[in-house]
Amino acid sequence: MSDHGTKISSKEFFDYQGFGGKLLFTVVLAVLSLGLAAWGGFLSSKQFAFSWLFAFTFFFTIAAGSLFWILVHHAVDADWSVVVRRQLENVAWLFPVLAILFIPIIFNAPTLFKWMKIPPGVDPLLDGKAAYLNEPFFWARAAFYFLFFSTAAYLLRRNSVRQDKDGDPRHTWLSRKMVFAMLPLFALSLTFGAFDWLMGLDFHWFSTMWGVYIFAGSALSSMCVLVLLITALRSAGYLEGVVSIEHYHIMGKLMLAFTVFWAYIGFSQYMLIWYANIPEETVWFLRRNTGSWNTLSIILVIGHFFVPFVILLFQATKKKPLLLCTVAAWILLMHILDLYIIVLPTYHKAGASPHWLDLVCLLAIGATLAAIFLKRLGDAPLWPVKDPRLGNSLKLRN
Amino acid sequence: MQIAGNPQSQLFAMAAEVPNASALYHAAEKVRDAGYTRWDVYSPFPIHGMDHAMGLKKSWLSALVFIGGITGLTIAAILQFYPSSIEYPLVVAGKPTNFFTVPAFFPIMFELTILLSAFTATFGMLALNGLPRWNHPMFNWDLFKKVSNDGFFVAIESTDPKFDEEATRAMLEGLGADHITLVYGD
Repeated sequence: MSDHGTKISSKEFFDYQGFGGKLLFTVVLAVLSLGLAAWGGFLSSKQFAFSWLFAFTFFFTIAAGSLFWILVHHAVDADWSVVVRRQLENVAWLFPVLAILFIPIIFNAPTLFKWMKIPPGVDPLLDGKAAYLNEPFFWARAAFYFLFFSTAAYLLRRNSVRQDKDGDPRHTWLSRKMVFAMLPLFALSLTFGAFDWLMGLDFHWFSTMWGVYIFAGSALSSMCVLVLLITALRSAGYLEGVVSIEHYHIMGKLMLAFTVFWAYIGFSQYMLIWYANIPEETVWFLRRNTGSWNTLSIILVIGHFFVPFVILLFQATKKKPLLLCTVAAWILLMHILDLYIIVLPTYHKAGASPHWLDLVCLLAIGATLAAIFLKRLGDAPLWPVKDPRLGNSLKLRN
Repeated sequence: MQIAGNPQSQLFAMAAEVPNASALYHAAEKVRDAGYTRWDVYSPFPIHGMDHAMGLKKSWLSALVFIGGITGLTIAAILQFYPSSIEYPLVVAGKPTNFFTVPAFFPIMFELTILLSAFTATFGMLALNGLPRWNHPMFNWDLFKKVSNDGFFVAIESTDPKFDEEATRAMLEGLGADHITLVYGD
């Protein structure tokens, strides 16, 4: 039931007229904060290393989550998400930039990942994991993650943009075939990426649910970013008659679903460790349940699950863009807190001690990505204008 | 006008057949706009957006499910906390017996919330649909057997305040409906 004759009056392309000032501001902000972060790196290289990893993983999970939604969209032949897919493609296409922003982590790796400095034969636990935790394999894996994420994001966006010109449904079929090869690679890359860069902060500790936990946060926060992006474009006068309240309703439902999923996975991981009470497993939560880290952990449980869960439960919330955006921004804030509690306790063992570099690193990576995102926004139409399922997506009813 | 069922018993509805799903959808919109309140459409499969075309309001089911879920949560909390924390506190694996033993109870609280929500959703849906029932007056109409295969029907019930044999018939004819029939009870 697709009709190709749907007429949309809204502008297809992003118009930079009168936007130059804002773009310049973002670029200046990015340059300034990158410089400030570099200066901070000279003042306190250890604090910088942890702050940068914390900020980097925040934006990395958002890009990974966006790629996940594109993969799922093609794999299940989704109709509703056609009109919002281009923005997901734009976010996922930031992976090559993230690969460049990974460079400070390369130089600070021995500071972050202590196992790199321990020679074989000293720590029996590390020796047991040596087949996985060794530098050549670690860097090869990191290279593979970025290569895979960037290629996947590039190919899917390329197919989509090509379809904008010729409207050939073969691009849709090609993308669908591609994603079935990409889905298992995505699951492996995100899982082991989370193992390498976050679980690897304490190489004694392990949790088989770690990858899923990070994935849950990724999918949720990228959906929140999508809601914010779409609303920003709509309030700037774009996507009129393209994205409707029905699309917000679905995005809100996915936010609710993944809020629950995050809590489910987070609790499952916690409860098994809490109940079994084995020292080698409890070490992670013991530190995070002590002193000021405990306060932050409790805030995380309430703020990341209970608050958005109760608010998103009502249908009315999902149909009010402004309210949904507030919840999305709140969840993103909580996702920042989540990664803060994951990364920083490795450095500040005694208790939380926020540093200006935490904020500057977030700003540096965020502004850099935002500037490049905005620069590229005008390269392609704001939604897939000739997708064969566009008609169905426009007519969406819940 | 044709007659189905037993004319001695109560009149159930004036029903008619329309050719396809799209016609049924537009018929529903017109019946809704004509101001009828007690009527229904019948089709072999669910038609997307039909609730909107019929002007149905948001179902009460979600409120029922919410109450069901809260009930499940409460039952699970009481069933676990009362014996383990109040009636016979027992220290298991060094875990506390006060409120902070709640992680151990979460799985049951979660499952019972889901279970009672699912039960309320299923049985509440059946109850709101007036199911289960032994029979339906529409089955007295032979043509109506097509409804599980390729028949699309609209029926204006006689209890509708706007129901009037002449006016309703004219309205159904205006929809382009065929086989306008008065369906009686048994």
